[in-house]
Amino acid sequence: MLFVVWLAATASASADCKVHRGDRVVLYSTTDDPSVLAWDSKTRLREYHAASFDEAQAMLPHAILIAPGTHATVFLCVPGFVESPIFAQPDDAVGVQITNGPQHGLIRWVLGTDVRTKAYLHH
Amino acid sequence: MTKEPLANLTGTLLMTAFLLVTLLFAIEGTFETRTQIANTFDRQAQIQQAQLELEELLRLQIDEENSLRGYSLTRDPFYVAQYHQAAAGYDATEGTIAQILHEQDLTGPQQLLATYGQLQSRWRDEIAAPLLSHPEQRLVELDKRNKLFSDYETRTAAAIREALAGTGGALARSTQLQLDRSSYIRALWVLAFGLLAILFNAYRSRLNRELEQERTITDILQRAFRSESVPLPHCEVGSAYLSATSHLAVGGDVFDVFRLSPDRALVLIADVSGKGVDAAVLTAFIKFMIRAIALRQSEPAAILSEFNGAFSKAVGNPYLFVSMFVGVLDTTTFRLEYGSAGHDCAYLRRRGHVEQLAVTGPVLGVMEEPFYSKTVALNPGDILVLATDGLTEVRNRDGQPLLGVGAMELIERANPHAQQLADELVTLVRARSGSRLRDDLAILAIRMIDTGPSRA
Repeated sequence: MLFVVWLAATASASADCKVHRGDRVVLYSTTDDPSVLAWDSKTRLREYHAASFDEAQAMLPHAILIAPGTHATVFLCVPGFVESPIFAQPDDAVGVQITNGPQHGLIRWVLGTDVRTKAYLHH
Repeated sequence: MTKEPLANLTGTLLMTAFLLVTLLFAIEGTFETRTQIANTFDRQAQIQQAQLELEELLRLQIDEENSLRGYSLTRDPFYVAQYHQAAAGYDATEGTIAQILHEQDLTGPQQLLATYGQLQSRWRDEIAAPLLSHPEQRLVELDKRNKLFSDYETRTAAAIREALAGTGGALARSTQLQLDRSSYIRALWVLAFGLLAILFNAYRSRLNRELEQERTITDILQRAFRSESVPLPHCEVGSAYLSATSHLAVGGDVFDVFRLSPDRALVLIADVSGKGVDAAVLTAFIKFMIRAIALRQSEPAAILSEFNGAFSKAVGNPYLFVSMFVGVLDTTTFRLEYGSAGHDCAYLRRRGHVEQLAVTGPVLGVMEEPFYSKTVALNPGDILVLATDGLTEVRNRDGQPLLGVGAMELIERANPHAQQLADELVTLVRARSGSRLRDDLAILAIRMIDTGPSRA
């Protein structure tokens, strides 16, 4: 029963996300610094964006800095999971496995807006 | 009688004042709205300027970061100079924005800008300064903190943008609201002005109607009060009337020629002290009362005596008096029997000479002395000229009155036909007075033109 609920929730969530499980993506931030902060859990990702500066600074040991252009594969996407004062709408939390570079093989959570699909980049 | 015109005048003035005040308010309101809208536009312009300066600030902040990255990668001192130049520009721009926000009293964006400034200051101390001192010590942890600063600065800048955009939007809505309100108010003023104009027009129409009614009544009264003469057999009758009250055809003088019987006519001229409508009312009273008495009393002295008694009792004003000439003319024999109650402007022009007919008693309304009658036998060609003191008292430009002598000279030289004579005298009086009459003038001229069978 729980499995069915989890499956339904996952399917529903994936349906609203702009990326889906198995998508191959490139990580790139649109802020002034194009590097991407990748977190060890989606909850930490959400807390980072809701925290004050000092709180966020204290959370930094749980994050790694990924160079812009790093490749990854999506393993899960939770739509509208991250809320922030600067977002007009909640953003997705995207779980990725890094597929190149020094952090190759690591699994981390990044913001939906930091994820570019290859199709998007080509266009 | 005097209160109504005053009320009308006050009403007209009040309505005009209302219209003027409405107009002034409308103009003042338009200017006020214009000032308000100008102020709002000015604020909007200031906020737009702050938004532009904010984008410039963000560009300079990126310049700072990029210069630092460039130096970290290349160790080229050029990037250090670029960094300092961008930092100086950043500080100046931040000051400009702070000044605008302070002037516009935007506390929310002011606080956000202060937060942004503090972040930038911390970034310089904690990230930039260590990297400038030791560019080779670029550590992962430092990069993460740099990313953290970047995220928070982006977040704060977005909040400032949003706050300024919100204020700008509010001002735009306020401007629209002011424009709408101004349009409504202007429409209301136009409506009020129009309504007042309609009211004013209605009020003026009512005044005109009342004035027209008064004119009609005045015309009727003037016809009733106007002196009149009827044609007499064997005589030529001429008359003229000049009122000192320019717009009235009535006054304090009265003459009357009334046929008592087929061959007897009442000839009357009188002068009531005073002038205008009040005097005219008395002249009507005199005219009809003398007619009534003359139908019973044949002798002028008896007519004057009876009228004197009745006048004193009826009028009851000791300061009011009347000078009067009453004659009964037999149009067959040209025998004139007359009584003159203090009326010395009675003349007889006979064979080119003019003589004054003697006064036979005092003015009426003063005392109860007896009045006498005199008889004058007239001949064909003789002209009886009766006038009021408007003739003898008329003054020239030097203030000299004409007096009886002057009047007799004028009569002597005048046209022998009765009406022409009367008209000529009026013309001469007008010319002498320069159209500034001080007293009413009545002239009655009767010329004997034929002999009747009895006389023959």
